[in-house]
Amino acid sequence: MSEFGKQIDSVLESYAEGEIGRRDFVRRMVGLGITASVAGALAGSPLAVRKAWAADIKGAEDRAWALAKEAAAKAEKKTLTLLIPTGSIGNMQPYVELWKNELGITLEFIEEPDEVVHTKGMQEAVAKTGRYDVMMPTAMSYPDWIDSGVIYDLTDWTETHQPDLFHPEWGVVFPASHHAQLYNGRVAGLLNDGDQITLLCRKDHLTDSDKMKAFADRYGYPLAVPKTWKEYHDLAAFMHDPDNKFFGSQEYRSRYYVKWMFMQRLVSKGRLYFDDDVNPTFNSEEGLAALEDMLAVNPYLHPDAFSFTWSSNYNAFGRGESFMNIVWPSGFKYSKAPSTGPGTTGKIAATVMPADTLKDGTLLYAGLFCWGFGYTVSKYSENPELAYAYAQWMTSPTISADAIPYLGGYSDPYRLNHMLAPTQRLIDTYSPEYLDTLYNNMVNTVPDFVLPGGFEYQDALDKEVHACMIGDKTPKEALDDAARGFERITRRIGKDKVKTSWLSLAKNLAEPIKKASGADQWA
Amino acid sequence: MPARPLGVPLALVLATALVLTLFPIFWIVMTAIKPPTDWNAVPAIWVPAEPTLVNFKTLFDAEAIREYGVGGVSQSATAAVGGSILASVVATALSVLIGLLAAIGLSRYGNAGRATPLVILSARMFPPAAIAVPFVIIFSAINLIDTYVGLIAIYVAITLPFSTWMLKSFVDDVPREIEEAEMIDGRSRLMAHLTVTIPLIRGGLFSTTLFIFILNWSEFLFALVLSYSSINTIPVQLAKYVTAMAGTLYGVQAALAVVAMVPLVVFGFLIQKHLARGMTFGAIKR
Repeated sequence: MSEFGKQIDSVLESYAEGEIGRRDFVRRMVGLGITASVAGALAGSPLAVRKAWAADIKGAEDRAWALAKEAAAKAEKKTLTLLIPTGSIGNMQPYVELWKNELGITLEFIEEPDEVVHTKGMQEAVAKTGRYDVMMPTAMSYPDWIDSGVIYDLTDWTETHQPDLFHPEWGVVFPASHHAQLYNGRVAGLLNDGDQITLLCRKDHLTDSDKMKAFADRYGYPLAVPKTWKEYHDLAAFMHDPDNKFFGSQEYRSRYYVKWMFMQRLVSKGRLYFDDDVNPTFNSEEGLAALEDMLAVNPYLHPDAFSFTWSSNYNAFGRGESFMNIVWPSGFKYSKAPSTGPGTTGKIAATVMPADTLKDGTLLYAGLFCWGFGYTVSKYSENPELAYAYAQWMTSPTISADAIPYLGGYSDPYRLNHMLAPTQRLIDTYSPEYLDTLYNNMVNTVPDFVLPGGFEYQDALDKEVHACMIGDKTPKEALDDAARGFERITRRIGKDKVKTSWLSLAKNLAEPIKKASGADQWA
Repeated sequence: MPARPLGVPLALVLATALVLTLFPIFWIVMTAIKPPTDWNAVPAIWVPAEPTLVNFKTLFDAEAIREYGVGGVSQSATAAVGGSILASVVATALSVLIGLLAAIGLSRYGNAGRATPLVILSARMFPPAAIAVPFVIIFSAINLIDTYVGLIAIYVAITLPFSTWMLKSFVDDVPREIEEAEMIDGRSRLMAHLTVTIPLIRGGLFSTTLFIFILNWSEFLFALVLSYSSINTIPVQLAKYVTAMAGTLYGVQAALAVVAMVPLVVFGFLIQKHLARGMTFGAIKR
């Protein structure tokens, strides 16, 4: 049994023997990473049941640990090498000693810039060095990596060792559980980072009585976090105060990031990227409207919006320079922590991405699951079982809940227990309200281009959206050119291959989005 | 020819050019001595009120910057600096040596055909990105991936056309009659080149060496694709200074850039008197 298991047993025994009270029991269990609700339920149940529940929630961790022990004992090479994106190590480093002391395995991290990780994986497909055991790309890499044979299909291992990916209480939140872990219905990677974009607003400005009155007078509805894209636009225009170096919003207009701003608006309008025959669908009325919306909000953006990277964006927002921001969950962490958010600590109200009004008048709430790293196992690893065990252990409900709050990494909540039954550390890191927001947004997310050639599609779209934003092309020209680029990519990769993968993604969309996009009618 | 006095308009143009040229260096140096709070300050802080060496310390002790509340730095630049020195010095020496022999051969004996210099230069006509992947495949088959031997071999291969062409133009400028006079005095061909040709093109040799060294020192793509964990260089290391809680570590990157400038400045200073001659030597064609 792992050290963690022993600690839980010890707490259970102490409580059963009356050495500690209920309050202390729950507190200690939470301290061990067991969710407050589970710990509370355990306290009120017979001991045998309590042990079973505790074992259940940490079952994935225990099974991974058992496999790791077995694989470590057999392994001739006692080092497990991980290819990870720079900036992510903080979520993994706290467990290095445990792996060394308990398993005799040295964890070696090879850090590469995040935009290089995909290329490094593709390079390994031809170089076959076996230098990496675990590789940590975004979900968009899975199709190309699986097809090039550089990573294992993890399905057999997951069936044997049960990482609880789809567990109703502590599984990965649907549909990211499917979009960010599967390729054509098979498990390609284990998600370790719940990257979705949400909207942050400055609470102090929302509660300013003068602004509340002025806003209500001008727009005829109360000042609050925006529920729709129209309200978002109104708020950006209302709060924009460039004379005082305070800007309406600071969503991205820079290359590499700007496509996500478009994709988000597109899915909010009930449009997906392709139809059921993988013909591009963004060069449509909804796509044009999405670009027009973006152009309309440009005057109210932070002046650096056209050059922001995630870090410069977070820094500017943290200094208190904008009213709104569209960010990944790590952006919330940034603006909440006093060291990185001196101008925003305690002043943030977060909300799900705004809805858009469909033609039938209904509101559609849609989110975007984008970026999102996960663990994969290299085909050329000397110890693939050990590599898999590491991936399952790190992403298990209990260990992941412990790992995510470390500030030195950018892993964000992705399992149900992270959001609906969080540990105290998760609550302290994100706040209960924001964890609720994450859950409410995540259940409606549409995935990135998790398709063969995904990075090519993304880049083709990004280039054209950016050209439109800087005035080089009209919205129609940009979208038509992007569509032609998509068709070329599809032809080259093979229509059937892309179609299979796309339909597999579309099958797992949230019902409202399926219905709005017509994907519910697809075969 | 007597020096012509500098007119005010020309002096202004030159001063403007100087400011524009030196501004990036000024900005990098200033950023390197700024504390983390000043890296992204708006409005920009030109000269930090409280300069610090913490960015330089962080290069070699990743924990140093924690005193400013920045955590998550896991990269030490020690291996990168060492790797850059090793790869650049060895590759430059080999490239210049081989290039020199090739230059003398082409200039003096030229019996490999008139197209040979162009064929050598054609190696530079491929964009590096186009040949990077084939190199990875070949190098992985012969176990040169993630080794300094592999990196040096590539650096020599990609800089050899430059060194050959540059040195050939210098050798062409030395009258071959001087070498022949030496040979009449009883020296061998090799000795004539060693005692006459090479000393006469010393300025060109130094400027070529500096140019090739700069190419190797700043090379990014091949170092990136050929490195896993055993090798590292400064340009690759620069891209890795990103943390989850502080984003891009501009100050640390600037400090490493300053460190990277030092050998070039020192080398350039040491060969200054040769450099001026090397820049113009071979410029006049007969």
